[in-house]
Amino acid sequence: MRPPARLNRPFPLRRATAAALLLVMGLGGELRAGTLVIHVLTVDGHNLTGAVVTARPLDGPARHAPAQHAIMDQVNRAFEPDLLVIPVGSSIEFPNSDSVSHQIYSFSAVKRFQLPLYRGKPYPPVLFEQAGVVTLGCNIHDEMLAYVLVTDAPYFGRTDAGGVWSAEVARGQYRVVIWHPRLRDEGADLERVLTVNESDRAELTLRLVKQLQPAQLADRPHSWDY
Amino acid sequence: MERRARRLCSGYFAVVATLWSCCLAAADWDASLDLRLVNSDADRSYLDGGLGLTRFDRDDSPLQLGRARFALTQNLGEIWSAHLDASVWDDRDAHPLGLTEAYLQLRPYPSDGYRLRVKAGAFYPPVSLENRASGWESPYTLSYSAINSWLATEVRTIGAEAQLEWLGTRTGHAFDFGLTGAVFGWNEQAGAVLAGDGFVFTDRQTPLGGRVGQPGDPPLNGVKPFLQIDSRPGAYAGVEARYLDRLVVRVLRYDNRADPTAVDSVAGVVAWHTSFTSVGARLETQSGWTLIGQWLDGRTAIDPHGFASAWPFRSGFGLVSRRFGRHVLSARYDRFRVDAQGSEDDGAQSGHAVTVAYAFNASEHWRVSLEWLRVVSDSYTRQELYALPPWATQTQVQLALRYTLGSTNPQR
Repeated sequence: MRPPARLNRPFPLRRATAAALLLVMGLGGELRAGTLVIHVLTVDGHNLTGAVVTARPLDGPARHAPAQHAIMDQVNRAFEPDLLVIPVGSSIEFPNSDSVSHQIYSFSAVKRFQLPLYRGKPYPPVLFEQAGVVTLGCNIHDEMLAYVLVTDAPYFGRTDAGGVWSAEVARGQYRVVIWHPRLRDEGADLERVLTVNESDRAELTLRLVKQLQPAQLADRPHSWDY
Repeated sequence: MERRARRLCSGYFAVVATLWSCCLAAADWDASLDLRLVNSDADRSYLDGGLGLTRFDRDDSPLQLGRARFALTQNLGEIWSAHLDASVWDDRDAHPLGLTEAYLQLRPYPSDGYRLRVKAGAFYPPVSLENRASGWESPYTLSYSAINSWLATEVRTIGAEAQLEWLGTRTGHAFDFGLTGAVFGWNEQAGAVLAGDGFVFTDRQTPLGGRVGQPGDPPLNGVKPFLQIDSRPGAYAGVEARYLDRLVVRVLRYDNRADPTAVDSVAGVVAWHTSFTSVGARLETQSGWTLIGQWLDGRTAIDPHGFASAWPFRSGFGLVSRRFGRHVLSARYDRFRVDAQGSEDDGAQSGHAVTVAYAFNASEHWRVSLEWLRVVSDSYTRQELYALPPWATQTQVQLALRYTLGSTNPQR
C-alpha cells in the first residue's frame, strides 16, 4: 500500500525558516506597537455606533485573544446585552432576571444549543469554540433577538458613540473586517487591509455602501402579539 | 358526622389551596378588571335580544363591567404548555363565567431555520391583526372592528392547528414565512348571527358553550355558535409573511364544511355552512405609527328541508394608530355588507362605522381608555321584524378603567 503523498514529502525547510522569521518579526513588532484607528460611517455619513471591528495580522501568527467569561442576561423580555463579541473558547452565562421563563436557542451552525431558563434556576455557561455569528432567540417570546460574534482575531471591539474603534497593535499588515447585525453590505465592502508601520498610527474610515436594515421596534409592549 | 364532613371539607380546601399555590408558583398568570362608564343611543343590543349593533344600548345603566379576566399559562415540561383564558362579561349568558380560549400547545425548539407549532383545543384562527394584546384584546380601541367582532362572536377553532415557520430573520435574512393549517369542529352555527343581525361592534367574546342574544328573542334566539351538527370537520389554511418586525401580511381561507342540509331536530338547529377568505396587513414604524388593513369576504348558507338560503358577506377596515410614549391614539373606519339570497332580503345589511379611541397606559397596572363609536347601517330585519326605519345611526361612548395584575406584567 502506498503511503499518502503528503507524508512522503520531506519537511519543507524553506517554510519552517519563513515561519520562524515571521515569529521573530511578530514578537519584535509587538515591542514596537502602533495604533489602529477605525472609523465606521453609515451610507449617509453618520457615525455608526456599536459596529464590531476585528483585526487579524496578515504577516504574523493569528493567535486569538484569551478566552473570556461573559454574561448575557434576560431583562424585561430582552437579551441584555443584545450583542456580545467574544474570542474563540470563551463561555457565556445566561441568567434570567425576568419573572417569566425563557427558552433560548441557537440553530446557527457555529453553535447550536437550547437552554430553558426558568425562574431562579441557574444553568452552566455555554462554551463557544468556533468562530462565526451566533443568532439567539427565545422559543416563547418571538421578539427576543440577540447575537454573539465569536472571533479568532487577536484584536476586536465595537465602535463608540463617535463611530470609532481603536487598539494598540503590533506593527504589521492587518485585515480589518466590520460586522453589524443590521448590515446589508456584504463581502469586500466590509473588509480592508491596513498597514501599521513606522508612523505608529494607521487610520481607516470605512463608509457603508448600503443602508442599514431598520432597527427593532423600541417601546412596543412585550405582551403584544409580535 | 358533621365533624367528619367538616374535616373532609377542610382537607379538600387544603388540597385545593396547595395545588392552586403550586400551580400559580410555576405558571404565568394574569388577571384584569375592566370597568366602564357607557353612554349609548343604540336600540336594544344584539346581546339582549334586540337589533342594536353595539354591545351597550340606551337602556343600559351607565356603569358596566367591561370584562373580568383570569388567564393562566402552565408549562408542561419543556415544549408543552397549557393555556386557559376565563372571563366574566355580565352579558346575560347562561353561565356568568366562561372560557374564551383553552388549549394545549406543542412548541419544539426551532431547528435549521424552521419551527413547528401545534395547538389543540379551542382558540382563535390567525386572522386578526388588531387583537394582538393579552386575552385577544385590541390595544387600539375598546370595540373591535366589524370583522374581528364577528370572529369574537361566532368563530373559534375547536380542533388542532399546525404552523410551520421559516425563521429567515434568525438566519440573516429580512423575512419570515409561515404556513398554517387546521382541522376543527363545533363551529357549525358560525354565520347565524351574521344572517340574523349582520355585523356588530363589540368586545364581548362568546365563551365556549356560550350564546348570543336571548332565548325567545328573534332573530338570534340565543344562538350557540359552538355546535357540531353533522360529522364533517372544517378546515382552514393560511400563509403569513413578515418583513423584520415591521410588516405582517396574512391570508387565510376558512371553510367549516358544514352540510347545509343537516338538521339537529333535538336541539332545533340547522347547520350553517360558512366559508371566508381573509387578507390583512399591519405596518409599524419606529416613530410609533401603526397601520392595519383587513378584508374579509365570505358566505354562509343553510338548506334545511330544501329551503336554501345564503348570505354572502364582506367587510373591511383601515386603522391608523400612533403611540406617544404611554398614550395611544387610534382611528378606524369600517365598511360591512351582508346580502341575502333565496330568502327575499331577510338578513340583508350594509353600513359603515367610525371609531376614535384614546388609551393612556398610566402604569404597568392601570389603563384608562376613551372611545367614541358611530355605526350607520341599513338593515332589512329592522324594518321587517320591528317595523322600524331600515337606516339607523347608533353612537356609543365608553370610558374604561382597567386594572391588570399578573406574573408577566401583561401591559408591558
